[in-house]
Amino acid sequence: MSKERGFSLVEVLVGLLILTIVITTTIVMFTERHRRLRQANETILAYQALSNEVEIWRRIDFAQLDGQLPTFQSDTSILQPLTPFNAAVKVDTPRADIKNVTFTVRWNKGQREAHLSILRADTGGKGLW
Amino acid sequence: MKRERGFTLMEVVVTMAVFGIFLIIIVILTAEMRQNEKRYPINYMAHPEVVAVMARLRKDIVDTKYYPMSFQGYSQSNKTLLLYTLKQTGFGETVVYDFRTAGEVHRKAFNATQLSSDWVARGVPDFEVGAFSLSTGQDAVRITAKDAQNQLAIDQIFLPRAHD
Repeated sequence: MSKERGFSLVEVLVGLLILTIVITTTIVMFTERHRRLRQANETILAYQALSNEVEIWRRIDFAQLDGQLPTFQSDTSILQPLTPFNAAVKVDTPRADIKNVTFTVRWNKGQREAHLSILRADTGGKGLW
Repeated sequence: MKRERGFTLMEVVVTMAVFGIFLIIIVILTAEMRQNEKRYPINYMAHPEVVAVMARLRKDIVDTKYYPMSFQGYSQSNKTLLLYTLKQTGFGETVVYDFRTAGEVHRKAFNATQLSSDWVARGVPDFEVGAFSLSTGQDAVRITAKDAQNQLAIDQIFLPRAHD
């Protein structure tokens, strides 16, 4: 009777399967975490630019809102890591005394976007928010 | 009978091939991560101390009535911000933000000339204060901070609200 030592084929295959599952899961987790961190970083940068632009458009006289260029007036250096990006402003007038100003930043070939809206009401005053 | 020991050439080749594949995957992932690290600034907004500094700055500047040029030995500069702001009680106080110490932000509030509170945030980036004039003639405060790689990580404009 021969005395054999070592693992059987089934044992080796099961071991390899477990190892593959563990390694694949680790790699997927690693890449997913990395992707989400990058997206969070991009979103934070985009919202800084958006809130800066809101501060400016809040101060523009109601009557002059339509006459503004549909681009960002603030410095967008913070968005440099998202290059190429597109920053746009849209003014809607749902009612004569109300305007809806929407600021949008698009990046990653238009696949990602962040937007912020403010509602402006005609109060008759100047420099109000 | 000949007794064999060690691995066959085939076993060694297969093992090295499998190991090589994993090594390539790890190198690709690490390289991509390094590339992104260089491209993006540090996300300081995930840091509670930085968020606290920005929240206090926003609140103080939004309620600011005017910016004193100098006060108690401090003067307006790119590392110090002086403002006269309204408290929740409706009374005013002079607030000095001192960014001169690396990694620290000091907020000192004065009731008349008496120091009423002294708040310090540590482990924060080096902030800079800049003036920013709007086309409407209003003066905003621009707060910026760069990371160790000199990339702009924080850039926020704050404007006082109308009080009158």
